[in-house]
Amino acid sequence: MASAAAPAPQAARLGANTAFNDKGKPMEVRLSNMVAAKAISDAVRTSLGPRGMDKMIQTPKGELIITNDGATILKSIQALHPAAKMLVDLSAAQDVEAGDGTTSVVVLAGSFLGAAEKMLQKGMHPTIIAESFLKASAKAIVSQYSSTLAPIAVQAVTRLVTPTSSNVDLRDIRIVKKVGGTIEDTQLVDGVVLNQNVIIAAGGPTRIEKAKIGIIQFQLSAPKPDMDNTVVINDYRQMDKVIKEGRQYLLNICKKIKKANCNVLLIQKSILRDAVDDTSLTFLKRLNILVVKDVERDEIEFLSKSLGCKPVADIEAFTEDKLGYADVVEETNHAGAKVVRVSGVKNRGRTVSVLAMGSNNLVLEECERSLHDALCVVRCLVKKRALIAGGGAPEIHVSRLLSQYAQSLKGMEAYCFQAYADALEVIPTTLAENAGLNPIAIVTELRNRHAMGERNAGINVRKGLISNILEEDVVQPLLVSTSAVELATETVCLLLKIDDYVQSR
Amino acid sequence: MSMNIFGAEATEEKAENARLSSFVGALALGDLVKSTLGPKGMNKILQSGSTGDINVTNDGATILKAIQLDNAAAKILVNISKVQDDEVGDGTTSVCVLAAELLREAEKLIAMKIHPQTIVEGFRIASAAALQALEKAAIDNSADPAQFRQDLFNIARTTLSSKVLSQDKEYFANLAVDAVLRLKGSTDLDHIQIIKKVGEKLTDSYLDEGFILDKTIGINCPKRLENANILIANTSMDTDKIKIFGARVKVDSTGKLAELERAEREKMKAKVDAIAGHGINCFVNRQLIYNYPESLLADKGIVTIEHADFEGVERLSLVTGGEIVSTFDRPDLVKLGRCELIEEIMIGEDKLTKFSGVAAGEACTVVLRGSTSQMVDEAERSLHDALSVLSQTVKETRTVLGGGCAEMLMSVAVDNAARTVTGKKALAAEAFAHALRQIPTILADNAGYDSSDLVMKLRAAHYEGRMDAGLDMNEGTIGSMKALGVTESYKLKRQVVISASEAAEMIIRVDDILRATPRRREAV
Repeated sequence: MASAAAPAPQAARLGANTAFNDKGKPMEVRLSNMVAAKAISDAVRTSLGPRGMDKMIQTPKGELIITNDGATILKSIQALHPAAKMLVDLSAAQDVEAGDGTTSVVVLAGSFLGAAEKMLQKGMHPTIIAESFLKASAKAIVSQYSSTLAPIAVQAVTRLVTPTSSNVDLRDIRIVKKVGGTIEDTQLVDGVVLNQNVIIAAGGPTRIEKAKIGIIQFQLSAPKPDMDNTVVINDYRQMDKVIKEGRQYLLNICKKIKKANCNVLLIQKSILRDAVDDTSLTFLKRLNILVVKDVERDEIEFLSKSLGCKPVADIEAFTEDKLGYADVVEETNHAGAKVVRVSGVKNRGRTVSVLAMGSNNLVLEECERSLHDALCVVRCLVKKRALIAGGGAPEIHVSRLLSQYAQSLKGMEAYCFQAYADALEVIPTTLAENAGLNPIAIVTELRNRHAMGERNAGINVRKGLISNILEEDVVQPLLVSTSAVELATETVCLLLKIDDYVQSR
Repeated sequence: MSMNIFGAEATEEKAENARLSSFVGALALGDLVKSTLGPKGMNKILQSGSTGDINVTNDGATILKAIQLDNAAAKILVNISKVQDDEVGDGTTSVCVLAAELLREAEKLIAMKIHPQTIVEGFRIASAAALQALEKAAIDNSADPAQFRQDLFNIARTTLSSKVLSQDKEYFANLAVDAVLRLKGSTDLDHIQIIKKVGEKLTDSYLDEGFILDKTIGINCPKRLENANILIANTSMDTDKIKIFGARVKVDSTGKLAELERAEREKMKAKVDAIAGHGINCFVNRQLIYNYPESLLADKGIVTIEHADFEGVERLSLVTGGEIVSTFDRPDLVKLGRCELIEEIMIGEDKLTKFSGVAAGEACTVVLRGSTSQMVDEAERSLHDALSVLSQTVKETRTVLGGGCAEMLMSVAVDNAARTVTGKKALAAEAFAHALRQIPTILADNAGYDSSDLVMKLRAAHYEGRMDAGLDMNEGTIGSMKALGVTESYKLKRQVVISASEAAEMIIRVDDILRATPRRREAV
């Protein structure tokens, strides 16, 4: 009679709790939160997994976006309900943190909320549910570690990583988008690719070998001081003089540039005046200098880092030591798109350029997003050097461990842990659903295989069966799934604790 | 016949009506924030009417500040909660709830035809008795540093347990105590900077010695600098302009225009030289530093940070001990900021600049992480509450017990005092004791426990002389608050009782509400 031996306060507490009767309004608010949050999670649910569907989004401006990236979908949804907005934020946070798993995190949150709703209807107090969920998530993380593989050598994954660095700035990886060709033409470029094209208006060169590259932050056009000014011309002879002096002024600058042995010139965009005018273009053409204009100010840092040159803000300071050297700078016609490439850069910094190609803008943008996700995932490995199996394997594994643990608990917590464990199964279920498999058959088989001790069994979506997912090389960084579980749980707990809306200013 | 004494649209509410409207307003407000009280309190969503932004919080002051009110008494409650926020930083909900409960009692007394002034007198006696009891119960551990740190830790834990950080309260309590102890007795929370970055989880937040500026180091500068001499400036780094409207230069040739341009550059260069003349290797400007001066400074080996914002330069000047300057003629008079190391760090996806080993050793930065922006904002509010309570406690070192223990203690004392009072005042004093008991009642209610049962048990425990008995919110039983380490600042509790009873008295005294004609605004 172990149950009879339970301490009296415990019994009294349970008794008090079962009598808990929430007031009408808080319950209503909670339910409305849950409905809204689940609506959001259902909206992105079908895009989970390799067989996930894409969504077409029409922005208010009439642009079209086609994507299956959860973060992008949610960003474009104009959520009105406060709880819905929180889920949108949640997915954005996962995007920042892990870069991938933005759909999973929302689907998980939706599923947790579903579980919480059932328990609320049983009359459990929301704070108890919230606390148990947090405990369960901590437990889940711990048990996930047990299934991590030995840290796999990831140093070689990217050029950016030094063995000691614990983080990667994705801004050092530049993705240049060009419409043309197909996605297959996307490539990692050895060297630097520019967004801009060479100016050929005056017939300047488009290919320079042994290039000396200068980045300038001043302009090659008629002088314009910051003061208001007027040029007063009294007769036509003076007109000639003004024109001549203007040409002389530009010629001087161009000559100085040539004198420093520069033959490729990148010019920063200026809002005050033309970055480069026709006259100077003609001069530069004669001096055989390749010109690219409209370089944005925030690109300067990247370019100077990758080309090994220093930006020059004044013509007087334009000297040879500030130039970068590259074997070839050329504009090529790559699958219908003109691309300026700089290859064979000497003293290059730790930066990488990726040239993304696609037949239209929609594909291109989706391609960029996918690349970004992939890069983020790689970065996750740098942050936390551990991999776990994919294909729903970790979720099932954790869910199984949690429900085992739940059986060792008593009271409300046991219920909550069990519900949390069940809610985790939403990931394999959705994966199976989206792949057109029978979710019940698949998930139960998966659970069975895990119970038999096959910890790496997962859903093989391509073949439509359960298999050892590690052999299929379906792996994901640990960080993606830990952060998804943590973030989803935190948000759900915050939502559970809400019992009122207040309109404020 | 009726006469118009007041101007059009000016209104007057008299006697019973006036009292009714203030009671209704105050009670409504009390009920609104009541459910956020205590470790099992609920959150509220604040949705902005104009922008639609949302804010999830259970901080009383934040909720009260945000709602629009058109009731005089309710506004008084908002005000005392604000004062509480400024004075101690926490207990903003408690003060509002206690005041509302006092008014609820007063309403009953007035229904019994007791004169408001009598009630006020009774409340006076009661609050004096309560404060005396509170003072007697207060413990001062400041003599023993280890014990005192434990006290601070307990206070932080108690404060945080009613907030969003409750799951990780141990972690954040330590963090807050460390931060406050760095201040070495100063209550200037400006030295503790809180940086919020969405991403990761709450426990990934950390305390960092030094100062973190949410800006990046300029192009072409080294990303790491040791033994920095910092010049903090607020100056425009574009060309100096003549500030007379319509001033313009007339020239007759392009060459002269070019000369003019050259002259502007020279002027800029002179300014940069003047700046470099300070013997610095780091230059932080509030405004933009444009390309030209930036490259000049970089050539001189000076690290530049531009557009650091008002807050950034002010804090930087505070922690590094440098002055904010805008003219550079007298390098000998300028106090430079100093720090041991400036480096670029990454938090989440953002690059920031960290100044460590700064002159003001008490400065530190708390980096808060969390899943959503609401989460981080709420965490910041919670942490701020904890920090301000702790910094006040460092000054006023006495502590009392929480968990409804202090309230029950006061309520017992007030009950005892009421027995010696003759006349109707005694009724009011008893009512005060009852209102005090409402705080533990609400605490228990919020957690879903049987409140009347628990509170009566608690009262019995106090009458039996178990002075440290309080509500154990995890078990739903009566427990020793001393053993559980549920401690609160004495100053906080004192302020709650004083503010709440004063506000209640003030509202009770009101018998007439006059409303002026709303000011007409021209249609736009």
